[in-house]
Amino acid sequence: MSKIMEMEVVCLSTLNECTSLQSLQELKVRFLGKTGELTGLLKSIKDLPPEERPTFGAKVNELRNKLESAFAEKQSQLKEQELQRRLRDEKVDVSLVNMQPWGALHPVTLVEKTISDLLIAMGFEVLAGPEIESDWYNFQALNIPADHPARDMQDTFYITDSILLRTQTSPMQARLMEKKQPPIKMICPGKVFRSDSDASHSPVFHQIEGLVVDENITLCDLKGTLEYLASNLFGPDTQVRFRPSYFPFTEPSVEVDLTCSNCGGKGCSLCKGTGWIEVLGAGMVNPVVLESCGIDSKKYTGYAFGLGVERIAMIKYGIPDIRLFYECDLRFLKQFGK
Amino acid sequence: MKLPLSWIREYVDVTEDIQTLCKKMVDIGLEIEEVVYLGEKVNNVVVCQIVDIAQHPNAERLLCCKVDIGGEIIPIVTNDHRVQVGNKVPVALHGATTANGLNIKKGKMRGEESLGMFCGPEELGITADYYPGADVDGVLILADDAVVGTDIRKVVGIDDYVLDVCVTSNRQDCNSVLGLAREVAVALGKECKQPDVTYTECEAKTADLVTAVVQDYDVCPSYFMQGVVDVKIEKSPIWMTSRLAKVGLHGINNLVDITNYVLYEIGQPMHAFDQADISDKTIIVRRAKDGEKIIPLDGKEYTLTTEDLVIADKSRAVGLAGIMGGANSGIKDETTTVVFESATFARGNIRRTSRRLGLRSDSSARFEKGIECATNILGLNRALHLVEQLGAGKVTQGAYCLGKMPENKTIVFDESRIEKLLGITIAEDRIISILQSLNIQTFIENGVVTCIVPPYRDDISRDCDIIEELIRVYGYDNITGTLMEKSRITSGGKTEKHNYCDKVRTILTGLRYNECIFYPFGGKALFEKASVNPIDESKYIRVLNPIGEELSLMARELAPNMFQCVGLNLSRKNNNLRLFEIGKAYLADSLPLTTLPAEEQRVSICATEVTFEQFRDDVLQTIYAFTNSGVSLVRGESNCLHPGICANVVIDGEVCGQFGKLHPQIANNFGIEVDCYYAELCIDKLLAHKRGAIKFSPISKFPSVTRDFAFVCDEDVAVQGILDEFLCLPLVESATLFDVYRGEQLGKDKKSIAISVVFTDATKTLQDKEIEKQSGKALRSIQEKYGAVLR
Repeated sequence: MSKIMEMEVVCLSTLNECTSLQSLQELKVRFLGKTGELTGLLKSIKDLPPEERPTFGAKVNELRNKLESAFAEKQSQLKEQELQRRLRDEKVDVSLVNMQPWGALHPVTLVEKTISDLLIAMGFEVLAGPEIESDWYNFQALNIPADHPARDMQDTFYITDSILLRTQTSPMQARLMEKKQPPIKMICPGKVFRSDSDASHSPVFHQIEGLVVDENITLCDLKGTLEYLASNLFGPDTQVRFRPSYFPFTEPSVEVDLTCSNCGGKGCSLCKGTGWIEVLGAGMVNPVVLESCGIDSKKYTGYAFGLGVERIAMIKYGIPDIRLFYECDLRFLKQFGK
Repeated sequence: MKLPLSWIREYVDVTEDIQTLCKKMVDIGLEIEEVVYLGEKVNNVVVCQIVDIAQHPNAERLLCCKVDIGGEIIPIVTNDHRVQVGNKVPVALHGATTANGLNIKKGKMRGEESLGMFCGPEELGITADYYPGADVDGVLILADDAVVGTDIRKVVGIDDYVLDVCVTSNRQDCNSVLGLAREVAVALGKECKQPDVTYTECEAKTADLVTAVVQDYDVCPSYFMQGVVDVKIEKSPIWMTSRLAKVGLHGINNLVDITNYVLYEIGQPMHAFDQADISDKTIIVRRAKDGEKIIPLDGKEYTLTTEDLVIADKSRAVGLAGIMGGANSGIKDETTTVVFESATFARGNIRRTSRRLGLRSDSSARFEKGIECATNILGLNRALHLVEQLGAGKVTQGAYCLGKMPENKTIVFDESRIEKLLGITIAEDRIISILQSLNIQTFIENGVVTCIVPPYRDDISRDCDIIEELIRVYGYDNITGTLMEKSRITSGGKTEKHNYCDKVRTILTGLRYNECIFYPFGGKALFEKASVNPIDESKYIRVLNPIGEELSLMARELAPNMFQCVGLNLSRKNNNLRLFEIGKAYLADSLPLTTLPAEEQRVSICATEVTFEQFRDDVLQTIYAFTNSGVSLVRGESNCLHPGICANVVIDGEVCGQFGKLHPQIANNFGIEVDCYYAELCIDKLLAHKRGAIKFSPISKFPSVTRDFAFVCDEDVAVQGILDEFLCLPLVESATLFDVYRGEQLGKDKKSIAISVVFTDATKTLQDKEIEKQSGKALRSIQEKYGAVLR
């Protein structure tokens, strides 16, 4: 009997001193395990005289119950302590940021994407044409015959007498209209080439050509479309101004100015004090072009525009030099990430 | 086109301030590139009269003057001993600025007070073209009629603006003061005066001086000629030379100045021949003979072809038509008889000759833009008027008028076209008044507009041209935006290739790659740097007229530009590069090109400071944008990649791209000192293998079984081949490598590979027998093909 009491005292006092779940588990095995001390005690029952055995057995079982509940209590106590300790000790400096963000799209792609998305929603299809282009599509089909003075506006890179690097994305106008009858709503983004190189001119740059041909297309529709683009690119207060100009493949032709996004039209160094920034050329498709592509110019009218993507990006993001677009310094590229 | 305001005022009564004028000009389509006020730097300089001169008491070189500046006498010290009492001279007062950048302050010179400084041409920024005697080095002595106290700018002709007007290439008629004056008049709603073209003909007859013959009307559609006798070559008057100076020309002599004056004022290039130099008194306009030589006024000899047009007498060419007169027939001081030529030469012809010879002149520039025959007549008559006005000679009777004569053009169209094109209506009386102001006679009857267009407007040929005239004067601000409400609905969208390129962009940016764009051309030097083998330059499409040799060849690969960019970034300490470009390779079937070449869409991917495995997985992710079935990686060869670390991406037997580690030699060429991996994939080829429509396959309800296998094989064996032997079995869901071991007990050049294979069957629980049957097949095949033995 004294062994039972002794064990109880030993076990409970050890249990009392137990401070970790691991040592608790060890202790549990030591006392309550299959080969533990309590089991050993129970086995020693055979050494007792038979009349003492029932009492002894009952006492041992009583002790087992007692110890088990003590262990359970201690376990939940330790778990609680452990939880509190973790809550107290597990700490992270959440202020630290040290990760590589997603890569960035090139600003040319960003502007192309913005404009494409806006116009796709208006029913425009996005097409691509060849960069090495025939003189026919780049010039002649657009009402620019050989020796036309308008060819001087664009210093052309030639590959042969009749093959060149396209100077504009406009050839896609003729390529599409030859194949397709109205309604046509198309844009063609892509690289164009001109023999010119300084801070605002690059021998390679990107244009987006726009073309709409259908019945009832007017100059007002051109203005409305460009106002829609401008307000989405530069903010809702952006105004669009037309100035007379000349392109052989549109008539009337206009230069399109937007209110300066830098000063809001008050006049600043970016807009040279005028409050306006020239962004693109546009006009109503010249009936000569429609007819040469086999489209009835009496029935159909259309508008076309061609905008410089880098020019838009330079204004939108405040990029001072076009050469930065092609140098691709990582510190430049990363600024356009999200 | 430089346009002095004073010259425009000869034709239009401009009273508006310069800003208003410019704005109104811009509004109707005349872009103003620059406005220069000629007297901008000259301030507080006035006319004074010298009333007293005394020797400076302390300096022999200096004179002490007293000058009247209009009601006040002030002291001025000067070192110019030419001045005399009574002279009127310009004086810069205290606080004045001068054209050569001086800031004048009052002060004492050697103890004598001086309240300013006398000015000469340099301080005023003028030449003798502006004011007689303004070629001195010293104080400018003014004419006696100069009024004391007047702002000097008004006296020497620099109280004037010069506008630089950008004229669009269709408006050749605006490349002249008169042409711009017509536009300014419209912009301001004022009248434009006609140039004075009156003169009296003398007894002598043009026909006695010269016979003019045009042989090639196709390149010289109109030719006019008239003579001047009793020519006196002298200086032109200041009013003429100052105008020429303001547009950038120098006064030479009266005859030459008249031709230049007419060129600028009327827009007609003129030429004056010394009649004495024309042999047999015959002028022939003809094509040059092959190899014919000419020395124009620039003194250089040019060799001509039959493409070129010359003005010749019976024996030789005396001028390069429309470009430059011959040195053998120009105006000289002793010239007494002159014939003026006023003609139209085909612009294409002038352009080609001028380009080929590298010889350009004001005259050729005008002809290249196109000259109307109406201008020939106006220019000739204006020149003859000026001859008479300047007393430079007597105009002879009669003119040669060869070829085309000016005609009005009639354009008729439905009034409804105006609204159809513009989207707005304009009142009929407004339509008429606008077009009339442009000298386009207009009638509207029963909705039909009839326009009679003056001959100088060769840009107007159909209804839309008239409508443009209408709206640019009516004002584009009257156009209000609409959104194609009356057009049909169309469905928008991108091409499949665009969509896949976008997908590649999304994947690569998600993998932290940054997008680049490079010039799609480069030079031999760059392409050689990017290749361990010599490059075959003849395969590249070449630009005939590149900016430089380094931008002369169209790229056949994206790699060179990417390596250059990596080198540049590393040199700037930008590390851990992850870059890609979606670009094109320009591949010609044969050169020189006769048809348009293939433009292959590609993506280049480049990363530094990564492992092969990391990079390979990024490349595979990109490929999986298109397909993930049938893709295998096979050892490949490349001009720029490490021979041992280079993979071909093969899809269903077609090589769609390559990737690997940069060849150490190439890395060295570009100064790349860190590990660098590069991939170039062909998007067009990947697209051809794109995955088909997605179809659901049932998920097995039965548990899968995993078996591990270990093989010993030669070091060279490509493990993927072994995996593929399992993967082709119908019940195999996956086969993956999980360990590679090399050790002495295996033997030299041997490796042990451990593979985990998962078997599944959608229809039943797998039996060991079935698995053994299946894997047995694979094991036999692996042993046969790869010599790999189960461990």
